[in-house]
Amino acid sequence: MDNNMHNGNMPLSPYSKPGVELAEGYFPFQVMGKVFKPKEALCKGTLFPELYKPYKVGK
Amino acid sequence: MDKKQLKLLNELMEIGFSLVETNLYLDTHPTDERALRLHNTLSAQYQELEMMYTDLYGPLKATSMSQFPWRYIEEPWPWDIEYCGCNY
Repeated sequence: MDNNMHNGNMPLSPYSKPGVELAEGYFPFQVMGKVFKPKEALCKGTLFPELYKPYKVGK
Repeated sequence: MDKKQLKLLNELMEIGFSLVETNLYLDTHPTDERALRLHNTLSAQYQELEMMYTDLYGPLKATSMSQFPWRYIEEPWPWDIEYCGCNY
Protein backbone atom coordinates (compact mmCIF):
# COMPACT_ATOMS: atom_id res chain seq x y z
CA MET A 1 0.00 0.00 0.00
CA ASP A 2 1.35 3.40 -0.72
CA ASN A 3 2.85 4.55 2.58
CA ASN A 4 1.35 7.94 2.04
CA MET A 5 -2.20 6.58 2.51
CA HIS A 6 -3.63 7.88 5.81
CA ASN A 7 -6.20 5.31 7.16
CA GLY A 8 -8.42 5.65 4.05
CA ASN A 9 -8.56 9.48 3.96
CA MET A 10 -7.26 11.51 1.07
CA PRO A 11 -3.63 10.50 0.53
CA LEU A 12 -1.31 12.91 2.34
CA SER A 13 1.03 14.96 0.22
CA PRO A 14 4.56 13.65 0.64
CA TYR A 15 5.46 16.66 2.78
CA SER A 16 2.84 16.64 5.57
CA LYS A 17 2.67 14.47 8.67
CA PRO A 18 -0.58 12.93 9.94
CA GLY A 19 -2.64 15.34 12.06
CA VAL A 20 -0.70 18.43 10.89
CA GLU A 21 -2.87 21.06 9.11
CA LEU A 22 -1.50 22.06 5.69
CA ALA A 23 -2.07 25.79 6.09
CA GLU A 24 -4.63 28.26 7.35
CA GLY A 25 -4.88 31.65 5.68
CA TYR A 26 -5.20 34.70 7.98
CA PHE A 27 -5.20 38.40 7.26
CA PRO A 28 -6.50 41.31 9.31
CA PHE A 29 -9.40 43.34 7.87
CA GLN A 30 -7.87 46.35 6.10
CA VAL A 31 -8.81 49.82 7.26
CA MET A 32 -7.94 52.64 4.86
CA GLY A 33 -5.52 55.11 6.42
CA LYS A 34 -3.04 57.19 4.46
CA VAL A 35 -3.15 56.74 0.68
CA PHE A 36 -0.55 57.41 -2.00
CA LYS A 37 -1.06 60.26 -4.48
CA PRO A 38 -2.28 58.88 -7.86
CA LYS A 39 1.14 59.26 -9.53
CA GLU A 40 2.90 57.36 -6.76
CA ALA A 41 0.10 54.75 -6.61
CA LEU A 42 0.49 53.92 -10.31
CA CYS A 43 4.27 53.59 -9.92
CA LYS A 44 4.05 51.42 -6.80
CA GLY A 45 1.15 49.35 -8.03
CA THR A 46 -1.08 50.11 -5.04
CA LEU A 47 -2.91 53.03 -3.49
CA PHE A 48 -2.27 51.71 0.02
CA PRO A 49 1.14 52.12 1.77
CA GLU A 50 0.33 49.15 4.00
CA LEU A 51 0.13 46.89 0.92
CA TYR A 52 3.34 48.10 -0.72
CA LYS A 53 5.82 45.28 -0.07
CA PRO A 54 8.40 45.06 -2.87
CA TYR A 55 10.75 42.05 -2.74
CA LYS A 56 14.20 43.25 -1.70
CA VAL A 57 17.02 41.24 -3.31
CA GLY A 58 19.30 39.64 -0.74
CA LYS A 59 17.34 41.01 2.26
CA MET B 1 3.02 62.56 -29.29
CA ASP B 2 3.34 66.08 -27.93
CA LYS B 3 4.32 66.61 -24.29
CA LYS B 4 0.99 68.07 -23.23
CA GLN B 5 -0.94 65.10 -24.63
CA LEU B 6 1.42 62.66 -22.93
CA LYS B 7 1.07 64.51 -19.61
CA LEU B 8 -2.74 64.39 -19.84
CA LEU B 9 -2.65 60.70 -20.77
CA ASN B 10 -0.39 59.99 -17.82
CA GLU B 11 -2.73 61.77 -15.43
CA LEU B 12 -5.64 59.74 -16.82
CA MET B 13 -3.72 56.53 -16.19
CA GLU B 14 -2.73 57.59 -12.67
CA ILE B 15 -6.28 58.53 -11.66
CA GLY B 16 -7.73 55.57 -13.54
CA PHE B 17 -5.50 53.19 -11.58
CA SER B 18 -6.36 54.87 -8.28
CA LEU B 19 -10.05 54.42 -9.14
CA VAL B 20 -9.47 50.68 -9.66
CA GLU B 21 -7.99 50.62 -6.17
CA THR B 22 -10.80 52.58 -4.49
CA ASN B 23 -13.31 50.42 -6.36
CA LEU B 24 -11.77 47.18 -5.10
CA TYR B 25 -11.50 48.56 -1.54
CA LEU B 26 -15.12 49.75 -1.55
CA ASP B 27 -16.31 46.35 -2.76
CA THR B 28 -15.29 44.97 0.64
CA HIS B 29 -15.79 48.18 2.62
CA PRO B 30 -19.02 49.71 1.22
CA THR B 31 -19.64 51.77 4.37
CA ASP B 32 -16.18 53.41 4.45
CA GLU B 33 -17.34 56.97 3.85
CA ARG B 34 -13.84 58.39 3.50
CA ALA B 35 -12.99 55.87 0.81
CA LEU B 36 -16.21 56.68 -1.05
CA ARG B 37 -15.48 60.41 -0.89
CA LEU B 38 -12.02 59.74 -2.30
CA HIS B 39 -13.49 57.57 -5.05
CA ASN B 40 -16.03 60.21 -6.05
CA THR B 41 -13.38 62.96 -6.05
CA LEU B 42 -11.12 60.89 -8.29
CA SER B 43 -14.07 59.99 -10.52
CA ALA B 44 -14.97 63.65 -11.06
CA GLN B 45 -11.34 64.44 -11.87
CA TYR B 46 -11.19 61.54 -14.31
CA GLN B 47 -14.29 62.63 -16.17
CA GLU B 48 -12.99 66.20 -16.45
CA LEU B 49 -9.61 65.04 -17.76
CA GLU B 50 -11.26 62.66 -20.21
CA MET B 51 -13.43 65.44 -21.60
CA MET B 52 -10.39 67.72 -21.92
CA TYR B 53 -8.41 64.97 -23.67
CA THR B 54 -11.25 64.15 -26.05
CA ASP B 55 -11.75 67.81 -27.02
CA LEU B 56 -8.05 68.29 -27.71
CA TYR B 57 -6.90 64.96 -29.08
CA GLY B 58 -9.97 63.04 -30.12
CA PRO B 59 -11.61 59.98 -28.56
CA LEU B 60 -9.71 58.36 -25.70
CA LYS B 61 -11.77 55.21 -26.01
CA ALA B 62 -13.86 53.77 -28.82
CA THR B 63 -16.93 54.78 -26.80
CA SER B 64 -15.85 58.44 -26.71
CA MET B 65 -17.31 61.01 -29.10
CA SER B 66 -15.22 62.11 -32.09
CA GLN B 67 -14.95 65.14 -34.36
CA PHE B 68 -15.22 64.57 -38.09
CA PRO B 69 -13.64 62.53 -39.57
CA TRP B 70 -13.50 59.62 -37.08
CA ARG B 71 -10.36 60.29 -35.07
CA TYR B 72 -10.11 57.03 -33.11
CA ILE B 73 -7.83 55.53 -35.75
CA GLU B 74 -5.25 58.30 -35.48
CA GLU B 75 -1.73 57.53 -34.43
CA PRO B 76 -0.10 56.82 -32.02
CA TRP B 77 -1.62 53.63 -30.72
CA PRO B 78 -1.22 52.95 -26.98
CA TRP B 79 1.55 50.41 -27.52
CA ASP B 80 3.50 52.85 -29.69
CA ILE B 81 3.70 55.54 -27.00
CA GLU B 82 6.92 56.21 -25.09
CA TYR B 83 5.49 56.75 -21.62
CA CYS B 84 7.58 58.71 -19.12
CA GLY B 85 8.91 56.42 -16.43
CA CYS B 86 8.08 56.33 -12.73
CA ASN B 87 9.05 59.44 -10.82
CA TYR B 88 6.77 60.74 -8.14
